[in-house]
Amino acid sequence: MIAVVCVDERNGMLFNGRRVSRDRLVCEDVLRNCSGYLWMEPYSASLFAQMPQEQLRVETQFLQKADDEAWCFVEREPLSPYLSKLEQIVIYQWNRHYPADTYLDISLNDWTLVSTEEFAGYSHPKITKEIYRR
Amino acid sequence: MKKLIHSKKLQCLLLVCLFFCLAGLTGCEFSEPAAVETTGTSIENYTGEPYTVLNDNIPTFTADELVLDSYEQYSPLDSLGRCGAAMANIGIDLMPTEDRGSIGQVKPTGWQTVKYDIVDGKYLYNRCHLIGFQLTGENANKENLITGTRYMNVEGMLPFENMVADYVKETENHVLYRVTPVFADDHLVADGVQIEALSVEDDGQGICFNVFVYNVQPGITIDYATGNSSLTQQAEEPSQATGQEVTEIRGNSNSKIYHCPGQSYYEGMLDSKYLVIFSSEEEAIAAGYRKAKN
Repeated sequence: MIAVVCVDERNGMLFNGRRVSRDRLVCEDVLRNCSGYLWMEPYSASLFAQMPQEQLRVETQFLQKADDEAWCFVEREPLSPYLSKLEQIVIYQWNRHYPADTYLDISLNDWTLVSTEEFAGYSHPKITKEIYRR
Repeated sequence: MKKLIHSKKLQCLLLVCLFFCLAGLTGCEFSEPAAVETTGTSIENYTGEPYTVLNDNIPTFTADELVLDSYEQYSPLDSLGRCGAAMANIGIDLMPTEDRGSIGQVKPTGWQTVKYDIVDGKYLYNRCHLIGFQLTGENANKENLITGTRYMNVEGMLPFENMVADYVKETENHVLYRVTPVFADDHLVADGVQIEALSVEDDGQGICFNVFVYNVQPGITIDYATGNSSLTQQAEEPSQATGQEVTEIRGNSNSKIYHCPGQSYYEGMLDSKYLVIFSSEEEAIAAGYRKAKN
């Protein structure tokens, strides 16, 4: 499984159950690089409302339902229960600090950083994209 | 309050109806505005995090305040020259299109130019916009500037402003936003600011929070009556005479932050209603807590 997550510069993901930030160019980048369906929960679907819907698989408990090769856009679900299924993690890091009460719940110490890319988003001057593999 | 309307009247009635339809389904719930609380009553004392959540993060806006017009309004200064609440319905049309100009000519109450080596950027005090420049483009408006610590400005207020700014830019929705400085008695420097925000068009699904941001600076003691300040006297090191190792880790169940012996707010956590005791850092981390920064 390939997990796609967005974090701030301190690995924050959510505050009060809501994403700390968003950028439409990140959504476009995710879909451009995703092979097959992009799985997500209903909460995330609004982010992709202007994107091709045929590429989306919107399901509750999507991390349980997604197969081993699936790309999963993860915002609110903890990743640690699915650690054994994870083959790759794609991280989009906002170059800012937001309030957060939910953080990326896995350590990347044992993962290999295979790619780093910086690009300008729609509302963010700089977004860093990192790809980690086991 | 001075009120600046930046767009034509929209369908407020429709919005209020929509609000009542949606309020029970998703997002936040609302109540009549509560009196501003002060740090001496129900706001928890500072324990090492730049802000604390109020009212379960539910802002106290009323239904008739939820409109689709962009506007900003500021309270007149009081008899001591202090700012009051500032409120805006932030839309993309309010956001600045030019860089910020100088604000150095404004001297908010309690203002002092004072430097410490332990402060990021040296200067203890910043002229803090109540409603951040990136949200409404207000520059040197004395009704929107208070004396705030660097820590409150950068660690406390800015992250919330960033979150709101991104949301408005990406969705072009509105966010109702209110910042209320809280002064004790006739103090010239605020104890902190309450920030409330709610995204309007989606009934708080995008943005919904209610927090109090502390006007403190770690390592510095501030006299809020005057703005005078000094380095905080370090607490005495715990006595080693007993030979006992202190292994108690004190967590804050509200912020999910834990404090180790010797850290700034370890002792203060004893009085917190959110105190959770762990026997090791590992235990705290396993419970989803992270370590305090100082």
